[in-house]
Amino acid sequence: MMPSEPGDPEQVAAFNARIAAGDQIEAGEWMPEEYRFEAVRLINMHANSEIMGALPEREWIPRAPTLARKMALTAKVQDEVGHGMLLYRVAETLGRSRDEMITELVEGRARFHNVFHYPAETWADVAIIQVFVDGAAMQTQGALRSCSYAPYSRVLKRICYEEDFHIQLGLDVWRALAEGTPRQRAMLQNALNRWWTPILHFFGMPDRVSPHTEKMLAWRLKVKSNEELRQQFLRRFVPIILEYGLEVPDPALRWVEEEQRYVYTEPDWEELKRVGRNGGPKSAERLALRQRFHQQHAWVREAVGRWAQGGPARAAVA
Amino acid sequence: MKDATAGAPPNGAGGRWARPLPAPADVWAVFLQARKRDPHVHVGDVHAPDSEMALVLAKENYARRDPCVSLWVVRAAEIYATTADAAGMFEPATDKSYRFGGSYRQQQRVYRGAWRLSHREEDQ
Repeated sequence: MMPSEPGDPEQVAAFNARIAAGDQIEAGEWMPEEYRFEAVRLINMHANSEIMGALPEREWIPRAPTLARKMALTAKVQDEVGHGMLLYRVAETLGRSRDEMITELVEGRARFHNVFHYPAETWADVAIIQVFVDGAAMQTQGALRSCSYAPYSRVLKRICYEEDFHIQLGLDVWRALAEGTPRQRAMLQNALNRWWTPILHFFGMPDRVSPHTEKMLAWRLKVKSNEELRQQFLRRFVPIILEYGLEVPDPALRWVEEEQRYVYTEPDWEELKRVGRNGGPKSAERLALRQRFHQQHAWVREAVGRWAQGGPARAAVA
Repeated sequence: MKDATAGAPPNGAGGRWARPLPAPADVWAVFLQARKRDPHVHVGDVHAPDSEMALVLAKENYARRDPCVSLWVVRAAEIYATTADAAGMFEPATDKSYRFGGSYRQQQRVYRGAWRLSHREEDQ
């Protein structure tokens, strides 16, 4: 459903001028319907990804190798769910209700980031997710801190602050495995090989020069192009792989000094499209899990509501 | 009582100068005080059916890592804000330099000179 109401041209021009001047839009201020539509799409997808992104790592909480790792991983998963809470609230300020968005998600009618459709097979996957997936997210979200929708940029500051802890934690798990036994190193290399393509996919297809991209950039709902962010990620994270004597899973990857960029083997973009439509190896299973818990915990939401109304639950305790 | 959401801003510009913040009825704004004597600062919102639950959720969402000594919650729909159009009313209409200590240079020069005279090195 594309917005049809273009708005008063004068009002739209004033709005565009405000953003061009570096101003940010606050909740409840007038905005073109198309801006609202794009902002909601962006933030809703981000919120869904935080909630679904907690699931692959959650699988490893009971199996974490030490108590310290278990506590840190629990804290990280809690942060991700917290980010979901913050982001749904921001999306709400643009006119969607949280209930509606959660329902869409658990019914498989909404999208979430491609990386969370893949299995976390070993403990080394946890290191990869914490370093590379959170590292990739950090590039995108770090850039969006200067986006034009003020409530989103405010929560991104807090989210990036917490993501930094996740990356530091991940680097420590990564270091322990990389400095470990040959078996641990092999496990890490194996996880890296499996995650390489999804992580390159994470930033999306190289942008076409299209009026849509231009508009998103002009509105600062997109701050850097997909390829710019992917290169930024490679510059920061390829050295980490090489420093620990691991292999980059792409033999064609090389740094081109003159262009100041990495050349890499083009991943299969059809896979990204398929996975994005909830057709990944773990999409159905994780959505079913989310839906099951959503239903199982319906009584908690109901009880809390009745308690607040001073209903039978409260009367029984008092 | 005068409705702040109607009428013109005090600076005379057209349009509304105040508006309610849009929020569903179950949304609470959370204000966090990091240390005693610090102000309470808006850190975000929570969804809750009552104040008690709002405080519990605020603690879990906003006080699980960084310092906090006190939380406030208030129904977000009860908050009124000045609009972006009215931002002009905060622009100083006249020269307000007399409100700043830094505007009083002459007195500072005299004071510093006097201090140097009364603290000669050979006296130390």
